[in-house]
Amino acid sequence: MVRKLVSRTLLTAAALALGTTAWGQTTEAFFASELYPLLHRTQCNLCHNDNGVAGRTAFQFPEDDATAEQIAAFGLEMIELIDRDDVLRSRLLLKPTQRIEHTGGERIKPGSVEEQTLLTWIRYLANLDEAQVQTARERIRRASTHQQQALSIRRLTHSQYNNTLRDLLGDQTRPADSFPKEDFVHGFKNAAEAQGIPPLLAEAYSAAAERAARGAFRGGDHQGLVSCKPAGATDAACAETFVRQFGAKAFRRPLNTQEVGVYSGLLREEGARLNDFLDGAQIVVEAMLQSPNFLFRTEHGPGSEFGQFETASRLSYFLWDTMPSAELRAAAEAGKLGTAGEIDTVAQGMLKDPRARTSMDEFLAQWLRFDRALTATRERRLFGTFNPELAAAMTEETRQLFGYLVWEGRDFREFFSADYTFPSSALAELYAMRQPPEEYAKVPYPADSGRAGVLGQGTILTLTSSPSDTSPTGRGLFVREHFLCQQVPPPPPGVNTTLPMVTESKPLTNRQRLEIHLNSAPCKSCHMLIDPIGVGFEQYDAIGRNRDQLTLTFQKEGEDDDEKKKPVEVKIDLDTSAHVQGIENSDFKTPKELGKILANDPTCQRCVVKQLFRYAMGREEKAADQPAIDAMLARFQSTGFQFRELMIALVKSEPFMGGGLE
Amino acid sequence: MSLRKGIDRRRFLQGVGLSGTAIRVGLPALGAMFNTNGTAYGAETSRGTAPIETRFVTWFNGNGIIEKYWIPRDTGEAYEITPCLRPLARFRDDFHVISGVDNPGARVPGPGNGHHNSMSGLVSGLGFTGRGAGGASVDQAIAQQLGKESRFRSLQIGVCQESFGESIQRNMSWAGRDRPLPPEMIPHRLFDRLFGSKEEYWIDRKKSILDAVSDDAKKLKSDLDHNDQLRLDEYLTSVRSLERSVASLPPEYSQVVEQPAEGGDLKDWPRIAKLQSDLLVHALASRQTRVASYMLTKCQGLSRFPWLGYTNDRHHGYTHGEVETPKGQRIMRDINRWHVEEFAYLLAKLKATPEGAGTLLDHTCVLFQHEHAEANPHKNNGLAMIVAGHVGSLKTGRHTKVTGTVGDLYMTLAEEVVGAKIGGFPSADKKLTEIV
Repeated sequence: MVRKLVSRTLLTAAALALGTTAWGQTTEAFFASELYPLLHRTQCNLCHNDNGVAGRTAFQFPEDDATAEQIAAFGLEMIELIDRDDVLRSRLLLKPTQRIEHTGGERIKPGSVEEQTLLTWIRYLANLDEAQVQTARERIRRASTHQQQALSIRRLTHSQYNNTLRDLLGDQTRPADSFPKEDFVHGFKNAAEAQGIPPLLAEAYSAAAERAARGAFRGGDHQGLVSCKPAGATDAACAETFVRQFGAKAFRRPLNTQEVGVYSGLLREEGARLNDFLDGAQIVVEAMLQSPNFLFRTEHGPGSEFGQFETASRLSYFLWDTMPSAELRAAAEAGKLGTAGEIDTVAQGMLKDPRARTSMDEFLAQWLRFDRALTATRERRLFGTFNPELAAAMTEETRQLFGYLVWEGRDFREFFSADYTFPSSALAELYAMRQPPEEYAKVPYPADSGRAGVLGQGTILTLTSSPSDTSPTGRGLFVREHFLCQQVPPPPPGVNTTLPMVTESKPLTNRQRLEIHLNSAPCKSCHMLIDPIGVGFEQYDAIGRNRDQLTLTFQKEGEDDDEKKKPVEVKIDLDTSAHVQGIENSDFKTPKELGKILANDPTCQRCVVKQLFRYAMGREEKAADQPAIDAMLARFQSTGFQFRELMIALVKSEPFMGGGLE
Repeated sequence: MSLRKGIDRRRFLQGVGLSGTAIRVGLPALGAMFNTNGTAYGAETSRGTAPIETRFVTWFNGNGIIEKYWIPRDTGEAYEITPCLRPLARFRDDFHVISGVDNPGARVPGPGNGHHNSMSGLVSGLGFTGRGAGGASVDQAIAQQLGKESRFRSLQIGVCQESFGESIQRNMSWAGRDRPLPPEMIPHRLFDRLFGSKEEYWIDRKKSILDAVSDDAKKLKSDLDHNDQLRLDEYLTSVRSLERSVASLPPEYSQVVEQPAEGGDLKDWPRIAKLQSDLLVHALASRQTRVASYMLTKCQGLSRFPWLGYTNDRHHGYTHGEVETPKGQRIMRDINRWHVEEFAYLLAKLKATPEGAGTLLDHTCVLFQHEHAEANPHKNNGLAMIVAGHVGSLKTGRHTKVTGTVGDLYMTLAEEVVGAKIGGFPSADKKLTEIV
């Protein structure tokens, strides 16, 4: 281990040598070996990327898996940020040292070794001659053409597993509900890269397959899975027919001869052992449900042997969250899923099916993290009316708003700005508004209400709060991450995150308590991006009730904790003046005003597109996807923000189809 | 329906070990661990006079500690037991308190909040990747060496589910970078895995199914690109472990352990914790595995504590918020003491299980840890841990303040205590000779 440390030091020394000539002159390699790692240590990359708060500045890091040439080009690109006549006036130097206003604060200390490293590179760039600058620009141009990412295999999500079993075997038991839970990665539970199958899940698949196969044949073939009439327990012809027919549904493509051989062999062996053809069929079902051909959606691309079957699955699992229907399989068989026109027709038809609604509900639930609302707890003393039923009503209300906009063809920007909602009677009471004529019917917010769209609903107001109070930080962060698709860097390690205590003699609003963030340099650079958004929601409490004033309750503490004394209440006024750093003219005082800002903000509109893209593709977007995302956004905008048109544009896009359509 | 030869269908149905088909009674007294002759499992292993194998357990709870009530002030043997450690007082000679452990992996710049980074650093010695741990966790490095012969190479067991839901928060065992091994959280399911009855016919049938499945996987793999191949490989590996768990029941496998009740309050964490500890002890004693991890609460966990009378907030909230007030400190003390109580319960069970000439605790090394030292500032140096059991040359009955990293500690435990030649671990560069 000591040896390892030594060799690391040697490596660094070698790298240093790489970045300079024997005469101490800087070379191009200096950037990759010295400055590039340094800029990661100072965490510049966390904001300066397409999903970062500084995503729209002139300084953008390449992706984590960038090639050496892309990194080199990034270093050369900085030539645009320097002053070749007076290097000390370069923006590349002035910004991170905060000699001029920098949203990210001081990342590099003036006068530090780090600054020297940065300056070394700035000087190198400044000394390049015109010809060298031209060559550098050419290299930057070449490095910026990205390769389209190939489609990759994806495991059925738990929700898709349940739905597929329902459609394949008539099994309504939703076995995946008790599988090891799926984790959220990059905001969704279906990220392909996170879809492993650890032993515990393999066992769960095995047990579920056993149960489902037994259920399918309990009391005979009541699902009509075997279309032929077996002449005996080992009827070879009927075995093959069954394996072909069932296999084509389970594997979502025709089986090859060899597969037919293996599975009908299994059928006949088991049929012979138990002297019953259906026992043989049952073991085939059980085995196929554990095959990777069932559990994974494989992708060999549009030109491959089963290219159109893969397309059918991709459409079906995105638009319906389940296996392809008989019609879709027939369309693939007939080669009718090859052109943009064909895809358009098929997808439009699929959107009319109720399954499309189920699938988009799943997208919504993950995007807005319904799980956090549904598992929220509240201090009973303060929020006695809160219970799991109320939380479920909140998410249903949000689902209703979303469904109305998507399926009634409304302008989707109303998701943020709608002056109406769909409350249950309990929610109407909670919001102190008029009762709906029936549960979850559309009701306008009162004219003087500060609520609008999803921002005024219990779901978001609750899931961003803690058990005893709201969290403006949590609410601001939610808006940044979920509606602007901007990642805010975490607090630096070792920072004390305690806010000032509120006491009876010193009552403070959350805004006042959070000021500590904005008065301290390490906190400020990030908290100025989130807290000032969250304080604009403060007139709604931790379960979404109106509050004109903040009520603080102080329990008098006696010698003994159990000795309950009468609590003292202090009321203080709230100041909800808020703004969104980075969006011009974004001052607001209510969620309603914020809703208008978000509805009209291109970053927010683009974020909606990105979120749907991530859900559909099971991955985050990459540089190569940007043209496709821009095209989807353009379509979304030009159709008056029709969400269905966005879905159609997505399924016809190059990344979704794994290449261009005819 | 045709006549069946060979096997009675009803018997088959009972034999597959589905939950709910067996008798619903609580866990047996430890007497059930003995066979009908009254001798303990270990006394008559199939290995004859071979030495009894060592086991290794990592035991975790989230959110760190309150140092002033947890870490003993003095080092050495005469240290005064602290309020949080009081439940362990009667086992004083069976464990070693180790403080001063550094977690440098937590400080690798990159994505993640204070908990994500600390968790990745704690389990793997490496930085958080943005979705998971940077590498294999220590239990898996050790299972690689010790687990080859067992029915389960390792077991992952969990208790409290309340969390923020992300992968790095919900898992403490990692097969490799970004490859979580989720814990089994439900006692009756864990029972099924370990002790669900397996008949010969069922075993044969499962094997032929898994053969077909592996064939499919191998064929599919050959025409995929590299990354997809890796993911299919993971499935193949899992199918192989499933085959092994079906086919290689240890000689000590038995039906004497009764199934825990399926119903009951599944959010009563102290109850679940004890049921899971019981099953863990049974699994170790019946030689189904040599390596296990036990996750009492999640990283950055959100457990509630109704049985402690603290219902205003959840665990993570209590570690920040009002934690610096006298009342907040008392709450933290009581929460941390509960963790130690559950740990003490496990030690008691291990110590009450005879094995060979001694007890199971003589052959089990249990490492108790958190992702942080002091909880509120997410402190990632000076971590305090407990190593229990009388395995290898581990010293017990003392508190040592070490200078070294989590990797140093793992290397020492693996190579000097449990006898797993792991050869190195991220963040390790020396052994902590003062603890052995």
